[in-house]
Amino acid sequence: MNIYLRLVYRNLRANLDRASLFFELIFPLFFIFVQGFGLNGIVPPFEIGNGRVISYSLFLAAGAVTLTVINGGTNAGTQLWFDRKNGMFEQILMGPFTRAQYILSIIFATLIIGVAGSLLVFLFAFPVLGASFNPSLSGVLTIAAALFLGTVFFGAFAIALSVALKSSETFQIVSTFAFFIFLFTSSVFFPATSAPSAIQVASLANPLTYTTDIFRAGLFDAMTPTVSLELGILALEAVVMFAIAVIVFHRIRV
Amino acid sequence: MGVNQLSRLYGDKPAVDRVSFDVERSEVFGFLGPNGAGKTTTIKMLTTLLQPTSGGANVLGFDLKTEGRKIRERIGVVQQQDSFDQGLNVETSLDIYGLIWNVPRTERKTRIEEVIARFGMEEFRKMPTVDLSAGQRRRVQVAREFIHDMDLLFLDEPTVGLDPIVRRALLDYLKERVHKGLTIFFTTHILEEAEYLCDRIAVINQGRIVQIDTPENLKRRFGSARAVEFKLLQGSSEALASALSSSADVTRLVQDSGTGAYRVTTTRPESVIPEIYRLAERHAVTVSSIYIAETTLEDAFIHMVTDDENGRETERGLG
Ligand SMILES: Nc1ncnc2c1ncn2[C@@H]1O[C@H](COP(=O)(O)OP(=O)(O)OP(=O)(O)O)[C@@H](O)[C@H]1O
Ligand SMILES: [Mg+2]
Repeated sequence: MNIYLRLVYRNLRANLDRASLFFELIFPLFFIFVQGFGLNGIVPPFEIGNGRVISYSLFLAAGAVTLTVINGGTNAGTQLWFDRKNGMFEQILMGPFTRAQYILSIIFATLIIGVAGSLLVFLFAFPVLGASFNPSLSGVLTIAAALFLGTVFFGAFAIALSVALKSSETFQIVSTFAFFIFLFTSSVFFPATSAPSAIQVASLANPLTYTTDIFRAGLFDAMTPTVSLELGILALEAVVMFAIAVIVFHRIRV
Repeated sequence: MGVNQLSRLYGDKPAVDRVSFDVERSEVFGFLGPNGAGKTTTIKMLTTLLQPTSGGANVLGFDLKTEGRKIRERIGVVQQQDSFDQGLNVETSLDIYGLIWNVPRTERKTRIEEVIARFGMEEFRKMPTVDLSAGQRRRVQVAREFIHDMDLLFLDEPTVGLDPIVRRALLDYLKERVHKGLTIFFTTHILEEAEYLCDRIAVINQGRIVQIDTPENLKRRFGSARAVEFKLLQGSSEALASALSSSADVTRLVQDSGTGAYRVTTTRPESVIPEIYRLAERHAVTVSSIYIAETTLEDAFIHMVTDDENGRETERGLG
């Protein structure tokens, strides 16, 4: 069996915390079915680009799907963190693998969790989203690109964070905190343009904003030149963060 | 395995300082030394986990610097540090470890059954690894290494925390594997263990190798100080003790506070024994038992390390 398949299988079996996975799925569903519907009555439908007008519950449901992406990304950090805490990191690096294979296996496992999680949430949200979902090939590709790049960025980010915070028990706290910062400075809950101006600035650097905007554009057929630009920026951010993670990872002291 | 002038600095402090030695195929090579001597650091370098600052080695015919991956395919390592998969039970963790080493499924099954039997893990084979006691977890960690094939096994204090029965089972199992061609690099602080298992022993202190030889030779060469132990019917005698300590042949005299036995360190037991009887008669006490204690590897070890420390002191004094 391929070396990556073996390592990815191990990561998924050994380092996944089932309880937190469960909450990662439940959390977005609350937004979709409670908050989305709750606010629908007081928020009028609005335009999201390319002349597409959608209701708030649709807007939020799409955001909730990409929310799962950063949830999945955190798993990359947790996997590495557990391996270092439990001495498996060194053990694996003394086995027939390279450091690159190991870190890629974490990223692959994270992609599986992130993308599978998003698809599951998407399926659950289908009663809400289904009516306005008319998939085109370019739409599906756009959606795939958003989920892929978003997961790579947040996976790499979590890996870097977990390396920095290995020696303390604070990794879980800090990553939860970072999660909320990313969440509330993004376009998951409201369009960036209607946020307070300080948040708008933060929102422009936030890869979750791009992930969400691109995902929505793909889903609701609302591509605009801005979204294409966002795709480019997100790709760049993902590459940079991945490079940072690799560098930090290679500096881990054993 | 051939190791040549291998060194590692931490900051500007050498943890391992120009270490050279050879290990033969199917040999058990013991690596002994006080805490912080550089044993673990040496193992980390030889297993490619840590880059040497200078020097090199040939492991199983492969160059340490350029062929790390090839080396790792043929070695097994039990680190000093704990290591376990936290989300799995014992049996599954053995199985998945075999899987990442690409051991075929049927082979994994047989080997898992074998190590579970050999290391007495039957009653906790279904338990999650996180719930195991420290010693049970250590057993799993050691057993796990035998799921995959290897030519060379590094064991960094593998018996820490193991009960005497499992410890003996492990040492015997290791002997068996060595007979079948396995080479072992072994560190421990329990010198009886080293003596039982090792063909040759290197003693390392402050990053430098002090001696390399067979356990017998080390004992012969450095175990020269013998011990005479005796007891008095009366328990203790201050007068006898002080007279005996000032005798020229006596290096050291201590009394065990528990048993009351006196232990004399000497190079000449044959003259110390009559001396004890003479003094006993003079001070009107009776010797109830007396014997010459066997030289142990521990004596030799302490001797070597103390000699080395003294040598360094002199070096520093001269420099
Ligand atoms: N990461 C590190 N940074 C700085 N110094 C280190 C590091 N790791 C080890 N050392 C130092 O290197 C020296 C050798 O350590 P090492 O762990 O190899 O000792 P050891 O012989 O295995 O000891 P023990 O019997 O306690 O396991 C020690 O003085 C230690 O303080
Ligand atoms: Mg050590």
